[in-house]
Amino acid sequence: MLHCTQIHKSFNGREVLNGLSLEIKPGTISCVIGPSGTGKTTLLRALALLDFPDTGTIHIDGQEFQFGPDLPPPAPERTIWPNVTAVFQSLFLWPHLTLRENILLPARARNAAAEKDIEGLINFFEMGHFISNYPNQASIGQRQRVALARALILNPRYILLDEITSALDIEQTAKILTKLAQLKERGIGIFLITHHIGFAAKAADQIIFMSDGIIAEHGPPTILCNPKSERLKKFLSMIEIAS
Amino acid sequence: MSVWEILIKYYPAFFSGLSVTLKLCGIIWGLGIVLGTALGFLGWKFARSIGWPSRGVSFFLGGVPLLVFLFWLHYPVQAMFDVVIDPFFTAAFTLTIVNMFGVADIVRGSLNDFPQQYLIAAKVTGLSRRQTIFKIQIPLILRQILPSLIFLQVAMLHTSLFASLISVEEIFRVAQRINAQIYRPVEIYTALGVFFLGVCLPINALAYWLRRRFTRDMSER
Repeated sequence: MLHCTQIHKSFNGREVLNGLSLEIKPGTISCVIGPSGTGKTTLLRALALLDFPDTGTIHIDGQEFQFGPDLPPPAPERTIWPNVTAVFQSLFLWPHLTLRENILLPARARNAAAEKDIEGLINFFEMGHFISNYPNQASIGQRQRVALARALILNPRYILLDEITSALDIEQTAKILTKLAQLKERGIGIFLITHHIGFAAKAADQIIFMSDGIIAEHGPPTILCNPKSERLKKFLSMIEIAS
Repeated sequence: MSVWEILIKYYPAFFSGLSVTLKLCGIIWGLGIVLGTALGFLGWKFARSIGWPSRGVSFFLGGVPLLVFLFWLHYPVQAMFDVVIDPFFTAAFTLTIVNMFGVADIVRGSLNDFPQQYLIAAKVTGLSRRQTIFKIQIPLILRQILPSLIFLQVAMLHTSLFASLISVEEIFRVAQRINAQIYRPVEIYTALGVFFLGVCLPINALAYWLRRRFTRDMSER
């Protein structure tokens, strides 16, 4: 299990994460929703051990990482990744490698069947006609699919996704969300920051609503139909207006 | 005497001068690139103890004309310490120092500006440190610095002509000596230009080829 307890993180005196605790179980989808600037990406980066929280504890499958002003920063072994992997909104594809090489470079060391698996992913995400291009020759939607394929081919245990369908059309979004549901069946723990409330309602095991650096409300997808907090009610009404 | 007649008659002298120029450049390029890369890396790694002093020296060298620096090392410094050093080595030392700090600036700047997101991507996809360095960092940094590194080396080749002013028998000094004998400045210096073109054009062509090959536009749409 991947879980964090009472994590705090500040930037320039502004508390971005304010005592957050949550659990991501293998084989579940946790959807994080909330207005922009409420610390969702900061939380993702903390869970992936990319930016350490100021205080709190993060557990990854029995390994404990404690953070505090009097504690030395932990030095997680590189083997933590890609068991915990992440795909960011800015996709971070390596610009000197073709899209195919972007997927294969990390995969070769991890996945003996990488060469075979990539073909399956190319077919699934319909990437055949652009997979030999370089990142700057691909559209953002194409790059999003490649970034996701790069993470999936590594067979992670937990995958943390930050708005990865923001530039995709409805058809591709549906495909990716279907893929996520399949990954869940394979026992992968998925942490998804999304604005697709429909998907969250349908496929998520838990909804985490963040506001002002705290988890304002969380629970099963039914909380989206019967929100208790005023903040979630307001957020959902805004989404309704926007859509 | 035409340019061609001068080239035909004096080519052994020109070649001998050219060989001195190339030897000088071999030292300047080889040591400058190796030491400059090391200094640039250390300056990036230890920004306070090495990076800032190195930038200071580089700033100082940028403010002192090369000729003044060369003459200063050739005359006053040697007089101060009561030593006589072969002008070839004085020129090699001076120009190597200049090249070294130039290369260090390029390398350090590139390392400082290296986009961190590519390292984050390497981390979350489980690349080892070695893979990250050899498959991500070095190729991207090389692509970025190669053109400016090569153009700096071409510039060093050009500045190696200053060595003639402290009596190094390189190609410019050879041309001056021939001119002193036959006084045909237009033809002789044109012939010198032809020789220099013969050396510089392939290097410039290599720089352009490398730029086209490795530094294609990588900005995303």
